Amino acid sequence: MLFSSIDFLYYFLPCVIILYFIVPNKFKNFILLLTSLFFYFVGEPIYVLLMLGTIFSAYVHGILIDKYRGTKLSKIFLISSIVITVSLLGFFKYTDFFITNINEIFNSSIALLKIALPIGISFYSFQVISYTIDVYRGNAKVQKNFLNLATYVALFPQLIAGPIVRYTSVEEDLESRKHTFEGFAQGATRFVIGLAKKILIANVLGEMCQDFRLCDDKTVLFYWLYGIAFCLHIYFDFSAYSDMAIGLGRMFGFKFPENFNYPYISKSITEFWRRWHISLSTWFRDYVYIPLGGNRVGKWKLYRNILIVWLLTGFWHGADWTFIVWGLFFAILLMIEKAFLGKFLEKLPSIISRFYLLFLVMISFIIFNADGMGQAIQDIKGLFGANGVPLINDITLYYLQSYLVVIIIAIIGATPFIKNAVLKLKENEKMRKVINVLEPIVIVLIIVATTAYLVDGSFNPFLYFRF
Amino acid sequence: MSDKIKNIVVSVVFIFIITFFFILSIITDDVELSYSERRNLAQLPQVSWDTVLDGTFAKKFNQYVVDQFPFREEFRNVKANIHFNLFRQKDNNDVYVVGDNILKIEYPFNENSIIRAAKKFNDLQDKYLKDANVYYSIVPDKNYFVAKQYGYPSIDYEKVVSIMNDNITDMEYIDIFDCLELEDYYKTDTHWSQDKIQDVVNKIATQMNFSDRLQNVVYEEKQIPNFYGVYYGQLALKGKPDTLKYLTNTTIQNASVLNYEDNTTTKVYNMDKLEAIDKYDVFLSGAVSLLKISNPNATTDKELIIFRDSFGSSIAPLFIDAYSTITLVDIRYINSNLLDQYIDFKDQDVLFLYSTLVLNNSVMLK
Repeated sequence: MLFSSIDFLYYFLPCVIILYFIVPNKFKNFILLLTSLFFYFVGEPIYVLLMLGTIFSAYVHGILIDKYRGTKLSKIFLISSIVITVSLLGFFKYTDFFITNINEIFNSSIALLKIALPIGISFYSFQVISYTIDVYRGNAKVQKNFLNLATYVALFPQLIAGPIVRYTSVEEDLESRKHTFEGFAQGATRFVIGLAKKILIANVLGEMCQDFRLCDDKTVLFYWLYGIAFCLHIYFDFSAYSDMAIGLGRMFGFKFPENFNYPYISKSITEFWRRWHISLSTWFRDYVYIPLGGNRVGKWKLYRNILIVWLLTGFWHGADWTFIVWGLFFAILLMIEKAFLGKFLEKLPSIISRFYLLFLVMISFIIFNADGMGQAIQDIKGLFGANGVPLINDITLYYLQSYLVVIIIAIIGATPFIKNAVLKLKENEKMRKVINVLEPIVIVLIIVATTAYLVDGSFNPFLYFRF
Repeated sequence: MSDKIKNIVVSVVFIFIITFFFILSIITDDVELSYSERRNLAQLPQVSWDTVLDGTFAKKFNQYVVDQFPFREEFRNVKANIHFNLFRQKDNNDVYVVGDNILKIEYPFNENSIIRAAKKFNDLQDKYLKDANVYYSIVPDKNYFVAKQYGYPSIDYEKVVSIMNDNITDMEYIDIFDCLELEDYYKTDTHWSQDKIQDVVNKIATQMNFSDRLQNVVYEEKQIPNFYGVYYGQLALKGKPDTLKYLTNTTIQNASVLNYEDNTTTKVYNMDKLEAIDKYDVFLSGAVSLLKISNPNATTDKELIIFRDSFGSSIAPLFIDAYSTITLVDIRYINSNLLDQYIDFKDQDVLFLYSTLVLNNSVMLK
């Protein structure tokens, strides 16, 4: 079930909200767990058992790690917990990738397993790992109530596409949380903003990217249009999901961490990754990069650490060489920035460093979205006319005219301009009151507009569901 | 408004909207048909363990709630308005407007599909039409007249014709492109208007050598108001309907149409279809795989077979005066290998009449 769907918005959500707020506090986690399992069951009827098994494994391992704290057994149980979770993730996500590559290298013909990827497994597996590691490190108290741990992992707002909420972020909220109109209104507003970003911007740009792929009359300009549109599409698609997840969490009293912070205004790749998919990059930083020694090692070990983390980051996104190359691309750029470019970029006028960032990120996402490296190379060559396409034609002009307004809105929306303008206006007490009147009106208008798009049955897939 | 009141208003408004539509969705009766979209709407799917476990129930349920959502038409209208007027997009679900004409983008150009259609026609000729006089003609879709001029993507019409001419053997091509202009088509629909295609009829009749049998034929024009064509519903904007006009005379009125699918006999213009989703089905009862028009007033024993798509439904009545029988074959709905079970192929005149829309999507030809 997608957040941006009629069945979620007008069937599932009202039922959950009504049930949640009419039961006494002590049953609220139970209701959230029950509805979250239903939410997952609708999309993955069989794999709900896999998720429950993963949670149960984490629950038992957490208790054992805590029980044998200070002994070797504690570490063994931690390793066992990680091995089980990573093995399940590896089996369901990567088996066919390895078989395909073994077949190609050794000319063998091992049959593919063709296992469907359980939705959200990459996200909830990382949450479970973060829980057991945090318990082992003493950063989190062991959760002895299975219901609370299951609620944390299965919580439907963040279950299938993040943000990767660390156990420590919601540890207190799971035990007790406040429900206020302020929290609910903030959550609803954030959810509706996410809905608009997804349906009115990301989906529309996604359609253009799909049209580009089907078009036989590409031009240099169309390749650039595609590159820009896909960068905006993936940002609005994924950050919209995070907005909706954070908003839904807030409605139910949880404070999930932010996952995006206007990444396209960055001036370097290093800064970009502090602003893009923050929950994933901090996860890798805390559970891989720092344990490997982080920055506090020699130059070559630092490069090795960067390489490992970005290989894993790429591979986490999908079982395909394009994702591995995508990860390596960032690893190389980050190494270059660490070696010398970072300091040089700081001295450059910000317009140049921003163009540097945007161009390289666009190249990275062209690789990311390609169906194989052959297509990625074709798409990159197309940007420079190296595959013999003309500079411009009528078809490109059509798409440019048809999507120009949405692209301009998306570019403005990808910067903090609107947010800062609203905050600035709110400093004036009169304007604050006016904005307070306008806010509910805008929310109603957005709900009507997004519902209209959903009812018309428009293009609506979520990119990050495949990870 | 204070922050505190705003938070209460936002919370209440949000919960009210989603709950209101939830309740409304449940209490309102389900609708079977969408007249504007020309399709059956999804109904509440049956629940079973199998459909729940394999995920089909969830998919069908999602389609059901979308199709049955309250104020569906109004919401579709809102979407179209945002698309065109706010985002300034040039089409909505590939449907666009030029003046008061509604059109649908036909793109990309599928060269292989055209070749496939040509081969299909050749195969049919080899199999059934060795002794017949075989002609073929191509009906340009509406995009031909405006797409390029207004910057919309379209197929390469010259290439369609040249591919067909290069690949079709032993058939004579009848070029009707010059006999048509945008005004000859309905504003809200795909099809041509029967009252505007006399030039096409003349061209075909001349080239197929039956124009002498149509020389003194006169028609009376009848009108059916409020014809909302297929593109009208897809566009989802408010606009003016077309008037559906049809031409009739004594021969047409006396002719009978045998439907091989259900073995029923009807008139050429089936007025029962005025109540159907698509009023264009008045012409020969709409999409039927195999029909035979018999002309009891015929002064000739010549017979005609038309391999056709829906454009054929409205032009075929204008050939009735020239033939004793006209058989209409729509190989989108019948496997062409079975045709000799129903048709006695001999030395009939044969016309393949297909629109560029079908040729560019010829996978539907069986």
